[in-house]
Amino acid sequence: MPGPLFQIARTGAAATRASLEVVAQNIANASNPDYSRRTLELRELVGVTPGRRGVLNGVRIEGIGRASTEIVQQQARSSAAELARAEAELTGLRDTELALEQSNLFEGLVEFEAVLTQLEGNPLEPVLRTNALESARQLAGTIQFANTTLDTARGQVQEAATVSLDEANLQIEELARINRNISNARSGTVGEAALLDARDAALRILSQQIGIIASFDDRGRVNVRLDDASGGPGALLVDGFTTSASNSTTNADGTLSFDVGGVAVDPARGAIAGQAAALDAQADFQTQLDDIAAQVIARSNAAQASGADQDGNAGQPLFAGTDASTITLALISGRQLATALLGSPAGSTNTTNLASFAASIGADDGPIATTDTLLLSLSSRISAQDVTRTGLAAIAQNAEATLLTETGVDLDTEAANLVRLQQAFEANSRVLQVATEIFDTLLAIR
Amino acid sequence: MSFVSNATGAFYERSLGQLSELRGSLEGLQNQISTGVRISRGSEDPAAASRLRTLARTERLSEVQADNADKLARDLEEASDSVSAVANLLSRARELAILAANDPTGANGRAAIAEELSQLEEELFDRANARTLTGEPQFAGTAAGPAFIRAADGTVSYNGNTDLATVSIAPGTALERGITGDQIFQFDVNGTPSSAFAVLSNLSAALQPGTTDPAAAARAAIDGLDAAIESSTRSQTVIGTRLAWVEVVQDNQTDRALTVAEQQSELGDTDLGEAVARLQQTLAALEASQLSFTRVANLTLFSALR
Repeated sequence: MPGPLFQIARTGAAATRASLEVVAQNIANASNPDYSRRTLELRELVGVTPGRRGVLNGVRIEGIGRASTEIVQQQARSSAAELARAEAELTGLRDTELALEQSNLFEGLVEFEAVLTQLEGNPLEPVLRTNALESARQLAGTIQFANTTLDTARGQVQEAATVSLDEANLQIEELARINRNISNARSGTVGEAALLDARDAALRILSQQIGIIASFDDRGRVNVRLDDASGGPGALLVDGFTTSASNSTTNADGTLSFDVGGVAVDPARGAIAGQAAALDAQADFQTQLDDIAAQVIARSNAAQASGADQDGNAGQPLFAGTDASTITLALISGRQLATALLGSPAGSTNTTNLASFAASIGADDGPIATTDTLLLSLSSRISAQDVTRTGLAAIAQNAEATLLTETGVDLDTEAANLVRLQQAFEANSRVLQVATEIFDTLLAIR
Repeated sequence: MSFVSNATGAFYERSLGQLSELRGSLEGLQNQISTGVRISRGSEDPAAASRLRTLARTERLSEVQADNADKLARDLEEASDSVSAVANLLSRARELAILAANDPTGANGRAAIAEELSQLEEELFDRANARTLTGEPQFAGTAAGPAFIRAADGTVSYNGNTDLATVSIAPGTALERGITGDQIFQFDVNGTPSSAFAVLSNLSAALQPGTTDPAAAARAAIDGLDAAIESSTRSQTVIGTRLAWVEVVQDNQTDRALTVAEQQSELGDTDLGEAVARLQQTLAALEASQLSFTRVANLTLFSALR
């Protein structure tokens, strides 16, 4: 009887058509970065009756297979998280560089020194005195401007950190939801494969925001721990269906502290770690900027105190304030600049005090040199960070390519499969035809 | 079945990365060429940026110091003119003193000489109180008031101070402004302190009609006049030396400014030849990558399937 032959050809044709559908699906998703290559798992179908020779029954569709490799995925995630950290830190530092370089702090200080030196040439000239006073006013403005732009840069990084944290918390919630859905999905179904794709996509986004260590159970449900800088096991962000949100607190100096469910944590990777590092650096540069402002105030006022102004009076403080945010000009007239030594009579052309004032601004430990050191250390740090970023980008790209090789769609392979399956389908049809012919032959017997 | 596949996505991602990297470096080069500036942010070359800052400071200070040097040179030239006028004036007084010492010069002649000498003393007083173009006394040190004042009894005394403020005219070089009046007009005659004013007015008084032996007084005054002339000549030399020094410093500063500009250009300006050559090279690489990308991207089995 050709009955089994029909059955075999029917299952063969069905399996081949299903395989073709999978190939078509793979091709359709060739450019979807979160899609993992699917395969159709087939099994031979044999009917076994005890005591008798078995019956061949064709082929059975076992389920949808999904290419996945945890190690490579973990590598891709952690290198992407490392890259995200470096990039976030670099962005913050670049903003800081822009703030401190574009405020022309260095140029303002040099101009002030130059104007003081110029006044030495002609200490009683009212134009030069007014010029020196206005240069001091401009310097105070420049320092305040640098302070404001640094503040703005800090605000931008803090804003970015908030966005990163919100995104991370969103993905954490998403992962718990996916875990629940995986529990409900049937194994080997298209739905399960789609959920696993969604899980990997969420993990990818999450790890870019905040470095994570993921572990999977046999069904593919994920537990997520924070990759903590302390090296110990990090806080659990996703534990089955329950989640713990990460929070941040802004400290007085603008830096951020993080906690997960109230327990303090220190993220090692991801954009948040980079943003935190950038904020630490900005707090450091803020301190240095305040130091420069304090130096300008202290040196100027000390110089004024050791001299006599154009009317022979003891010099009054040039600047008021204590740091970069409060520095303002205190004098109202160029006549009040103490160019002469203390005790000199009115109208003295003595410039000894002025010369030591200009020298104290330009000294090797003075504000000009400190500003140069500040800018140099900032730009060196950015330059070094940029080199690190380039290296990390290459590593991340490599890991991403490896991951794509493992899980991505190769159009050439799919094209070859297409040809192979087409032939297989034709062969199955031929089997069906042969069975029909055999059946017809039997029916034709008279 | 296990096989190594070359994922299509990976190929496109890689090619895209390489192409955008080439494009990025092209844009950087183009920016360098169009702005002429090699370093637009400090982080592009931290050490060179710091060096450029130092050079910019040197340049700005040099400008100001060059101004100071010009001003100082002008002041010194003025002072030199004044002192040489004083020296001429004192020479004339010495000629008059010799004339008065000659016995043939009669009482009337001496009276005329006395008159001229007191005029000369007035002129000397004015010269000593000369002011600079900017209004400060030329020979009063750093004091504000007139350099010399005349008391009610006609005696002239120095009113300034001996403080000579310095002016910064080059890095590490501060030069004294001019010379104080006491050095020019006050001196010792045979161990006794005297001044050019005293010598002239005493001689003038001694030549008035009715004094005993005016010729001897005139002879005695020649010593004082010699000392006064010597003092003014010495001052002129001091001023001249300083002026020469300023000129040397100015020359050095000009050379220095050139060196600074050269270094600035070397560190901060785009080397056009190099940038254009690298632009060409990168362009060629980009074109080749684009070409090979399209070739390889077309190499898919699908285009072979009909």
